[in-house]
Amino acid sequence: MKRKNIAMTARPPVISAILWILHRLVVLLVVGVFLVPAVWLLSISFKPPTEWQVFPPTLIPRSPTLDNYIVLFKPEAPRGTAAAMLRVTEPVTKSFLNSLIVVPIATALSVTVGFLAAYAVARFRVGGAFMPFFVLTTRMFPPVAFAVPLLVYYRWLRLIDTPLGLILIYAGFTLAFSLWMTKGFIEGVPRHIEEAAILDGASPWRVLFTITLPIVKGGLAATTLFVFILNWTEFLYALIFTSTKTITVPVQLSHYVGAVGRFYGPQAALGVVASIPVVILGYMIQRYLVTGFSFGLIRR
Amino acid sequence: MRRLVAILKSLLYLFNREKFFKNLLVLPMQLLLNFLLLPPFAIVIYLAFVNWQPIFGSWTEAPFVGVNNFIRLFAEPRFYEALGRTFVIVIVAVAIEFMLGLALAVLFSRPFWGRRICTSVILYPMMLPWVVVGFTFYLLFLDHGPVNYVLSSLFGPSGMISWFRSPISAIVAIIIGDIWQWTPFMFLIFYSALGALPKDPKEAAMTLGASSWQIFRYITFPMIKPVVYVGLVIRALECFKIFDLVYIMTGGGPGVSTETLSLYIYRVAFKYGQLSYAAAVAIIVLLSIALVSRLAVRPLLKEVV
Repeated sequence: MKRKNIAMTARPPVISAILWILHRLVVLLVVGVFLVPAVWLLSISFKPPTEWQVFPPTLIPRSPTLDNYIVLFKPEAPRGTAAAMLRVTEPVTKSFLNSLIVVPIATALSVTVGFLAAYAVARFRVGGAFMPFFVLTTRMFPPVAFAVPLLVYYRWLRLIDTPLGLILIYAGFTLAFSLWMTKGFIEGVPRHIEEAAILDGASPWRVLFTITLPIVKGGLAATTLFVFILNWTEFLYALIFTSTKTITVPVQLSHYVGAVGRFYGPQAALGVVASIPVVILGYMIQRYLVTGFSFGLIRR
Repeated sequence: MRRLVAILKSLLYLFNREKFFKNLLVLPMQLLLNFLLLPPFAIVIYLAFVNWQPIFGSWTEAPFVGVNNFIRLFAEPRFYEALGRTFVIVIVAVAIEFMLGLALAVLFSRPFWGRRICTSVILYPMMLPWVVVGFTFYLLFLDHGPVNYVLSSLFGPSGMISWFRSPISAIVAIIIGDIWQWTPFMFLIFYSALGALPKDPKEAAMTLGASSWQIFRYITFPMIKPVVYVGLVIRALECFKIFDLVYIMTGGGPGVSTETLSLYIYRVAFKYGQLSYAAAVAIIVLLSIALVSRLAVRPLLKEVV
């Protein structure tokens, strides 16, 4: 701070002060703009049906209510005139259970498989330059293009609307992230540590599981949480490959959109409930978000 | 007994051989990817050359139609419109995200009180489910929503727009949603890149009397260029897949006027059940993306990794 740049000292203090204030104002404005949509979603989620579409809109609900949240899990709960407008066709408990089964299993599978492969790629260059690139391309394609033949394939295997089917898809199509992220972490482990162990007579398995794995533990945890976020928020595959039994939270959320007499309130409440876990996880791995979204191409 | 031990020992030896070891490590990945990609790959090619819809019965008995599906595709204006629309969304959204992200990163690059918390706060949009973002912006742009309220208090009642009734305003709303969600990504890339830059070149230029714009233009920007390239390529490829926002906000409507490529394929395949035609579209899309990613992503891997 002492050696604030030389160019700045040339400015008259008044201009510096104005610039300082301007800078803070712009920062505040930016933060505000980024907060508005989420605040609006929260606001709607606490409003009774009569206030969903009122004009002029109010940010603070006039008569705040928790009905929107209650109705998600107990469709029969609300009483009174608003009850009919609030009544949701099905409770969201099932979709939460489905998401809580499919997403963790798929994430664990994806990261395990990705980590093992990443070790082979990082240390032994298995598959040369082509294999990691090929895995990366699976993520570049629009998922809907894969979904067309997959639907026929899954119908034939009878995997449609089953947790197993969704788990395999989720694990397979997040593999690109698992592979590339963990590859970055493995490459960060100095080779000579592993070589020393090999000279001491350790088997390659032992080196992998007792030396490398503990070192990259933190990176693996970050990868796991990141892949979890991706799977939790995934919508398209869930929309196509589930119909009644295995719908996930994002699909459930979209169901209300097409419903008769739109359920803005409960839908907003579901949006809030569905977002909270991933936002918490996201903040836990804040440092790795860029690494994740850039497939580990940008580290730091 | 001794022979058994010998067999086990040789098995163990084999198990620990490097060649066996490294191939066993990639085996699960190969199994998973082969399971998911190989049969569908064959199916998509088969489907594209026959005429099959789920209501026709068994897909193995569909009639062979040659390249008819592709001929139909190249004559279909709706396909070109969806493609063009997707490109417009990608170019506009990614360009704005890039500029905003860079501007924000420069704005935040100087230390100030509360910088860390502010940085964290503006990151949350990219963690949200896309569906939630779509729904939130749908609420914001409703006829009686806050955006119209602001417009009407600025420009009077004539300033209100029925955002989802006309294609252009609907696409603007979609683009704004995408920008809101993904500017934080660009911001975070540039912010961390700027923070990691060496200080010396900048100070040298400063003592030589360079203006802050000159420093940014000729020193800072060239140094973060590889990161800029990675960010742009990744975001453009991701944005090209845009589906959730459009599906939630407009459903492609009014009519087909906000359909993106992904939504077009989705509707053709899963709403109309024309899986054969959709397979032809999918093949064209897969081929073009493969080409693009070879041209754009391969050099990127060489540069950064």
